[in-house]
Amino acid sequence: MRPRKPTRTNGPGGRTKREREGQLARKKRKCRFTEAGTIYIDYKDEKMLQRFVSEQGKIIPRRITGTTSRFQRQLTLAIKRARHLALLPYASDAIR
Amino acid sequence: MAAKHIYETTFIVNASVDDAQIEAAIERVQDVITKNGGTIIALNKWGRKRLAYPINKKTTGFYCHIEFEAEGSVIGLVERSYQLDELILRFLTIHLSRNALKARAKALREAAAAPAPDAAVTVEKTTIEGEVS
Repeated sequence: MRPRKPTRTNGPGGRTKREREGQLARKKRKCRFTEAGTIYIDYKDEKMLQRFVSEQGKIIPRRITGTTSRFQRQLTLAIKRARHLALLPYASDAIR
Repeated sequence: MAAKHIYETTFIVNASVDDAQIEAAIERVQDVITKNGGTIIALNKWGRKRLAYPINKKTTGFYCHIEFEAEGSVIGLVERSYQLDELILRFLTIHLSRNALKARAKALREAAAAPAPDAAVTVEKTTIEGEVS
């Protein structure tokens, strides 16, 4: 049986179909919390939480930050608690 | 007898009044906890901080954080006293989860190993740097 051909057209050094279509394989982002061995995400650590919030104050989706679902859930709770205590803004961009 | 749990409460005192009044407000909160059979584990004063958004038309607040052990029934009383206290702008009381307790124990162990243990607890971030552009 013949092995399946890879989806390359410009020889072995050529680009794959995926790359040609502009969906460049992005570097896989890793979850910061998993790497650091975090056990609990604290709402009091506003400096850390700010990294997971957009300029407008929105929570950045995990598909962008690479956070695992487990930590994203904890992070969301922590951000919401921090917002309640005015450590983080609910909305920081006044321009509409 | 109801079981005791470890809770933490953070509240914001109106920072436009003088320090003595702020201290008195913090004292009142501690009183409510201790008089109802609770014990205070840690009291951290974060000091005056800029609020991320105005609360009751105020842009700064004095943050205070208390960790305590008490029965669940105390929480209602503490929160009631917060609502009655006009100097308190905002509060949050949470029950520490198992993971939170683990993280706390770890932090305490690390603080004990560090050369200046009490400095590590009290020196919290004092201002919000303007990283928002």
